Amino acid sequence: MAEKVPVVEMRNIKKKFGGVEALKGVDLVLHHNEVLGLVGDNAAGKSTLMKILSGAYIPDEGEILIEGNRIHMASSQDAHKQGIEMVYQDLALANNLDVVANVFMGRESISLKLGPLGVMDEHHMEQETKRLLNRLKIDISSVRLKVESLSGGQRQAIAIARATAFNAKVTIMDEPTAALSVAAIGKVLDLVKELKAQGNSIILISHRTEDIYQVSDRMMVLRQGRKVCDTPVTGDIDTFREHVVAYIVGARDDFAEEGSKRSNGKGK
Amino acid sequence: MARVNKSEEMTLIQDAMKVFQENIREWGMYIALLIIMIIFTITTKGVFLSSRNIGNLINQTGYIAVLAIGMTLVIIISHIDLSVGYLSGFLGAVAATAMEFWNLPVYVSIVLVVILGAMAGFLTGFLVGQMKIPAFVATLAGWLGYRGALQLVTMYRGTIVITNDVFNAIGNGHIPDIVDLDILPGVHGFTLILGMLVILFYIFSAIKQRNRMLYHNFKVSPMHFFILKLILMSALIGFIAWILSGYRGLSWTAVIVIVVVSLYHFIMTRTNLGRHIYAVGGNPEAAQLTGISVKKITYIVFCSMGILAALSGILYASRFKSATTTAGTLFELDAIAAAFVGGASPSGGIGKVTGSIVGAFVMMSLTSGMNLMGIDISYQYIVRALVLVAAVVFDVATRNRKKT
Repeated sequence: MAEKVPVVEMRNIKKKFGGVEALKGVDLVLHHNEVLGLVGDNAAGKSTLMKILSGAYIPDEGEILIEGNRIHMASSQDAHKQGIEMVYQDLALANNLDVVANVFMGRESISLKLGPLGVMDEHHMEQETKRLLNRLKIDISSVRLKVESLSGGQRQAIAIARATAFNAKVTIMDEPTAALSVAAIGKVLDLVKELKAQGNSIILISHRTEDIYQVSDRMMVLRQGRKVCDTPVTGDIDTFREHVVAYIVGARDDFAEEGSKRSNGKGK
Repeated sequence: MARVNKSEEMTLIQDAMKVFQENIREWGMYIALLIIMIIFTITTKGVFLSSRNIGNLINQTGYIAVLAIGMTLVIIISHIDLSVGYLSGFLGAVAATAMEFWNLPVYVSIVLVVILGAMAGFLTGFLVGQMKIPAFVATLAGWLGYRGALQLVTMYRGTIVITNDVFNAIGNGHIPDIVDLDILPGVHGFTLILGMLVILFYIFSAIKQRNRMLYHNFKVSPMHFFILKLILMSALIGFIAWILSGYRGLSWTAVIVIVVVSLYHFIMTRTNLGRHIYAVGGNPEAAQLTGISVKKITYIVFCSMGILAALSGILYASRFKSATTTAGTLFELDAIAAAFVGGASPSGGIGKVTGSIVGAFVMMSLTSGMNLMGIDISYQYIVRALVLVAAVVFDVATRNRKKT
């Protein structure tokens, strides 16, 4: 039964910023242990949709169901409670702190409570960090290194590891491969595969169709605040890329009859 | 363990160079202090290092040191507080007024002033954290406001003389000598014994920490270097205790500073609150996203600054047994300079409580030494300016080098 109910279901999500309709009624389904690629041009509404799912924005209309239960989320803390973690594009890491401190930021293990203060259990946090990095096959020489001394790929890996450290059900990654070297991109994609192998559900935002193709089970294209495509990832990479580009620029639209008449009609 | 064995094959000098290079920022500060002390000892023909002068120096540093600790926290979260100098002067004057004119008991007066300090800090926290006013502007307003308040309180008499002996002992008194050492007449035995205890405690905790780090396979400094460090530090503590015991012993100001430093050092290095303060300084957006309330941390840091400003005001008023219209003038700049000399980074996120104390001693040693040498005050300001600039330039240079 639990397997049939999607882990996340967003229905008819609408969001306006002033006069601009960023989302015009978007549906999204994420199944258990699935990697969903989310694609779209700039200002297509990808980030807005994900910020709504991670509790950073509140939608004007629509509902969010987590494992079949209707949820109201007003803050990222609410989303954390639901097991939804977001890895931000601009890397939410503190450069002045070491890897352990970053992984446990905001939820430090406490060994002794002194009123409002808690004495940190450094040993436990360190062991847990090592275990986490081992589990995700992330290679870093010491967990006591400051984050500023790590490479871009390593930093991204730490950011992803932190998001998944606390039994997240759903991990949202916003452009995790942007601004990374080719080798680092490969590592991050391996990490996504590793997370899926360990039973996580992932939403991956990327403008790199190769990345989506490599790791996603299904992909969804947004265009001008509407969903224009929702399809399993199949076929070879070249047809896939052509396909995706056609949807992104608006040459194709699977949901045209539901949407506005402005779109370019149904392609086939 | 492998790493330790490998490095033990290296010579002591190589080890020393390596450790020195890795910790150049921190060592630079101690070396600067050492050089300053040596220069002044030579130029004053030993007067600088006399028991009496060192005792005075510590009491003088006290009221700047407590401010520097609070300022370090403020700088860590990328803010600044310009208001604390006059706030400290104002609160000292309130303490004096409370005791002399309102006839409040000394302890009630102290508690009252500390509460007022916390409220002042809360107000700054409100302006900076809640209203999002840049700390520079908000605390500049505080600088003006508390200056006016100080002049209001001291308006009728100019200087309020404090007659309470208990209060005046805070800045002038020394711990009683409960141990009488017959073999060393004229020496404060209790201070000497306390010094010994501190050395033992230091050696014990250093060994314990080293063992713990070895157990977790951390990189530690090589054994002979570790022993050398233990001997040097023990000698330093012993030397300070010996100097202090030569003239009336450990002062109450020193005791207060040691307690405040220990408390803040513990909070900043061992507790989640300290970690959150560093996190907010490093990346406030990230901290907020992980559930740390940046607003709450801002309130806490400015409240602590206010409380320490109150403590500084008490120490200063007590030391001079009076409250004057100019009390607290330029304290904030000394505290900010001490924090930067002590290794706080102007871009936030970095700074140590222990460093700010060393920084405070550097700044006050300069003042004290140049006063002893009879150097004109105008040159004193210029020298202090150069030291401050040198500290920040050194900080930026070593940090950039590390990145490449």
